[in-house]
Amino acid sequence: MARLIRTEKEIEGRYEEVWIVVEEDALDQWPAGPLEIVGKPAPRMDGYERARGEAVYTADLELPGMLHTAVLRSPHPHARVRSIDLSKALAAPGVHAAIGPNDIPQLVDECCYQGHAVAAVCADTYATARAALSLIEIDWDVREPLLDPNEAVARRSFLSDPRVRERGDADKGLAAADVIVEGEFRTQVVLHNSMETHQAVVQWFGDGIDVYISTQAIWAVRDRVAEQLGVAADKVRVVCNYMGGGFGSKNGPDDYTFIAAELAKRTGRPVKCALTRREENLAVGNRNATIQRLTVGAKSDGTLTALLGEYVNAVGWGGWMAPTDGPMHSLYACANVRSTLYGAKLNLPPMKAFRAPGFVEGTFGLESLLDELAAKLGIDPLELRRINHADHDAEDDRPFSSKNLLECYRRAEPHWERRHEVRARSTETVKRGVGMASQVWYGGGGPPSYAWVRVGSDGRANVVTAMQDIGTGTRTAMAMIAAEELGIPLDHVTVSLGDSSRGPHATMSAGSSTTPSVGPAVRAAAADARRQIEEIAEQRGTPDAPLAEVVALLEDAQILGTGARGPNPTGMQVLTFGVQVAEVAVDIETGEIWVERVAAIHDVGRVINPLGARSQIEGGIIQGIGHTLSEERLHDPKTGTILTTTLDAYRLPTIADVPEIVSELVDEPDTHLTNLGSKGLGEPPIVPTAAAIANAIRDATGADVRSLPISREEMLRALREAESRKSGEQRGAPAAV
Amino acid sequence: MKLNLGNQGNSVELRRPSSLADADGGLALAGGTEVIPLLRSGILRADTLVDVRGVIPRGISGTEIGGGATLAELEVDPQIPDVLREACRLAASPQLRNMGTLAGNLLQSTRCWYWRLKWPCRLHGGDECFAHDGEHREHAIFANDFCASAHPSDVAAALLALDATVKTTSRTFPIGELYRVPTEDDRNITTLGEGELILSVEVPECDASIYLKAMDRKRWSFPIVGVAAVRRGSDTRVALAGVAPVPWLHDGGDPTPLPRNAYKVEILDALVRRATAAL
Repeated sequence: MARLIRTEKEIEGRYEEVWIVVEEDALDQWPAGPLEIVGKPAPRMDGYERARGEAVYTADLELPGMLHTAVLRSPHPHARVRSIDLSKALAAPGVHAAIGPNDIPQLVDECCYQGHAVAAVCADTYATARAALSLIEIDWDVREPLLDPNEAVARRSFLSDPRVRERGDADKGLAAADVIVEGEFRTQVVLHNSMETHQAVVQWFGDGIDVYISTQAIWAVRDRVAEQLGVAADKVRVVCNYMGGGFGSKNGPDDYTFIAAELAKRTGRPVKCALTRREENLAVGNRNATIQRLTVGAKSDGTLTALLGEYVNAVGWGGWMAPTDGPMHSLYACANVRSTLYGAKLNLPPMKAFRAPGFVEGTFGLESLLDELAAKLGIDPLELRRINHADHDAEDDRPFSSKNLLECYRRAEPHWERRHEVRARSTETVKRGVGMASQVWYGGGGPPSYAWVRVGSDGRANVVTAMQDIGTGTRTAMAMIAAEELGIPLDHVTVSLGDSSRGPHATMSAGSSTTPSVGPAVRAAAADARRQIEEIAEQRGTPDAPLAEVVALLEDAQILGTGARGPNPTGMQVLTFGVQVAEVAVDIETGEIWVERVAAIHDVGRVINPLGARSQIEGGIIQGIGHTLSEERLHDPKTGTILTTTLDAYRLPTIADVPEIVSELVDEPDTHLTNLGSKGLGEPPIVPTAAAIANAIRDATGADVRSLPISREEMLRALREAESRKSGEQRGAPAAV
Repeated sequence: MKLNLGNQGNSVELRRPSSLADADGGLALAGGTEVIPLLRSGILRADTLVDVRGVIPRGISGTEIGGGATLAELEVDPQIPDVLREACRLAASPQLRNMGTLAGNLLQSTRCWYWRLKWPCRLHGGDECFAHDGEHREHAIFANDFCASAHPSDVAAALLALDATVKTTSRTFPIGELYRVPTEDDRNITTLGEGELILSVEVPECDASIYLKAMDRKRWSFPIVGVAAVRRGSDTRVALAGVAPVPWLHDGGDPTPLPRNAYKVEILDALVRRATAAL
């Protein structure tokens, strides 16, 4: 029976209280461990289509009569359009329509960051549209940009009010400490740089509209398009069958969708608006830079007495305040924690969610400083983390639905033990070391999500759910769940997804929530179908007959099962946990860093597809290595103009930068969470990577790297600092008595 | 043949001459890995492109290397000195090395982001070097007073260390004379004349050689510092990539780093020490 509940909804660490209707989740969980299909490795069911180039992405779409769009974006970080004249662009051969400031809300004349959209032109080809942009006459009033996050805080230029979080009394806690360590950490702006750039193709049919879009949230696109365009929601059809990456940057329709919609309306033709790689590096969101001033107090036995943080998120002109303070409040049992989080509003492109937003940055600061504490106390870093393990959610004083972090630590031991042997392989100039860091993040998902399962007389099943697979392999996971529940082979299941008009609502693919949100609905739908088939078998007098034999009677009739995601456990905190151990080598003369090995042990409840899970872990670590060592979006310090707009200047890791990766999953169902006991794994693996590498560098060299990326410049600076500290200590050492 | 570059409104005429005599009258194009991006970003403009791959020598004959040889061909060739082979192997990516030619590599432009983004800098004829007071962590530490751009060619540093000789359609000269530090009066960084094409490079033999390169990832990266060292008898000649507006002969002059690129000097010193020790 459906039930109305008031519940806390979490996405990417943002909470809101909402009323929702949920179906009871009546199914018992499967037993732990690998089953017939679930829990055993399965290759992606769409692997061949993708590899052969048969999978049609939004970027591949060519509709008959389709026009192409080029967008005029502000070249200035802060400027006003005094006047603009589109007439010459509009008159150019091949151009069909041009729109400018205030034709739609997404086109503006007050530009507050470089890349703010001002005007757009659609034409027969992209080249024609692009050339027409240069015919737009525009007069700019260029203004002074605000670029420095500390200055923004001083001038109270905030995106939203500063957020203070406190439990216990941090000042008292600090006073009670035997040892205090503090540090200022900085993280840089990094970009998602998805392989498929942000884009949409829009076509009107009467008062209805089709939106083909590279998105991780087809329902959010549907609702926002319906709202802005004044179209009934069910007349907006949003399609995303395959997509080339999102990482948090594709959670809504954005400017290009509304630009295409307006141009499609004006021309009566389908219109594509696809961003270029340079636009992708400019104006589609980023992981914001942070400044973190942290203080940790502890007793000499290692017990934490106080954690204090002042965090500045340099969010740019828009976005939201990602929980950089999150790890400080959720990772350890410390009774006294206080943080202030500022969202500095600057004339720089807006942030967007990026794979565990806030926690990646916050974990780098906190877990780095914890290792500095371990060194100061002479306590083994792994032991220090065990001493301060949080048995329950101290901030809200509630139990965890499940937590196997201690088991992760136990399984990390053999990797951690390697440090003696690794260090021993150091040479005069190349120092080696091992570091670790813990991971905490969300990933429990939640209602509402729905699925249908259709079984035909051929004994095959079709799972229908309007979710999207952002490339993580959730399509395959859904098929596995249905096949397991129905007791049929995996290749007898197909999955129809990615179309808002051909399936029921499902969650956005953000916050590691697709599998834990849609998976239980798919299982419930498959169980509903199975129950009906068993009833038929019962009536036929063959209750134990195999499914294929029973449904063979159906001819054109079909069994239709429906299922919904049940509620999250009340009064419990649902989180994911893990630990990573990194091995590095550092050339202390040139500052070169090699990440040689990363062992990752994560606890995300039941694992549906171990093969897909491993690829998520590898992807997270590789993206984390880019964040740690080479990626950085740079702007000119005077003007705020973005300098890294191409992939030679914005440096993603290459395959040569990828270390040996050893991944392990605890694979213990969360007995309180849904009929699956599964949490999400998209984000957890990127959370601890930077801190584990930074700690390994400290282990290898004694240098405290405090700033990402750990470029040659930062590495050599930290080495010089460590050197002068060492010689200072030697000079200042008390004479032996 | 008409060529559409994707984002220029006008298409460009592509000519494929069959003789050198027929190769002028347009912008020369070989592998296209530099010219095409520069055309796309509007730094180069051309109505006619001349594909010179059919008329520039490629391949190796004794100590002479055709200007049309690709880096991919050179990186696996046992006949050429280690320093040049390594410089080729450590440049760019396999895809780029399959297309990019020796001559084209020598004539590539700086990666200075201000220049690439068409800021009106001195190299573009303006009166300011924006890198000086801006983002210059990757920029020059020698001869950087007028323009702080860094020359990105690994191959040029290798050939400068080898003291190679360049043969063009109009003259033959030491590779050091191919380059010039830009000045107020002349912003060019090469001495090539209008329509002059590099045909081949003569690489004299040496006793030992090495190329060491610092990058900020393991592959597909321009040099932070590239060190090419060549020994003949007891003479060692060292040339550098990524440290000056042109490939730089390391003759003991003191670097003049900017506030944010002094770290390059540390790397340079370490790599020069290692390179000379290895010879």
